[in-house]
Amino acid sequence: MSATVVMLWLANIVLDTFGQLSFKAAAAGADLGEGLARWKAMARRPWIWSGIACYVGEFLVWLAFLSLVPLSEGVLLGSINIVAVMIAGRLLFAEKLSPMRTFGILLIAAGVAVVGIGG
Amino acid sequence: MRRFYLVGFLVLVCFDTFAQICFKLTANHAMPPEANLAWVLRVLASPWVYCAIACYIGAFVTWMTLLEHAPIGPAFAASHLEVVSVMVLSVVLFNERIGTPQWIGSALIIAGIVCLAISETDGDPPPAPH
Repeated sequence: MSATVVMLWLANIVLDTFGQLSFKAAAAGADLGEGLARWKAMARRPWIWSGIACYVGEFLVWLAFLSLVPLSEGVLLGSINIVAVMIAGRLLFAEKLSPMRTFGILLIAAGVAVVGIGG
Repeated sequence: MRRFYLVGFLVLVCFDTFAQICFKLTANHAMPPEANLAWVLRVLASPWVYCAIACYIGAFVTWMTLLEHAPIGPAFAASHLEVVSVMVLSVVLFNERIGTPQWIGSALIIAGIVCLAISETDGDPPPAPH
């Protein structure tokens, strides 16, 4: 892998993880109300906008990444994002990681990796 | 809460899957692929690209609704069921060939989601009613 590919890959991990955590931060909390009121409250939080900005950035990085590596390798490397989001959720939102839950997440990450390896 | 997750993830996977199918139909509609304005105009002339955008918006609304309660780690992992559903539909709709590793990977993803479903039923604090 060239340095450019590695940089794009790291950028993808960072943007995906930060974007997902932003969405969680925007959506969390029962004090937001219901229905349209909840959406208005979320729109006033900066997190939903940082999440959307990450998505746009991720889309561009992903396109650049896929112009340099085959899609299957992209899928393979994308499985790392699942583990990154799991760890970040644990650290920042104190999400419980029971053995069963951790095993399930790792199985999914392994499955996505196998799909990529065989592509 | 189990019902909330079950319905929520099914709706999410449907939106995600149909978005990808619509993108494929858009790309077929806009053949041949070219890096020029004519290709962009062919894409915009396809009804499928608007279906894809509508599915993206639907998926976003569903995702933000799920995340009110769902922990991001397991939820993000479970959303990868899309990988399996898109592959199955690509075989059915587009006659794409899927190799053994893809089927093994799909089985692992489904097994992981079953584990997450089991972990959800024993343990978590009681949810807000919906």
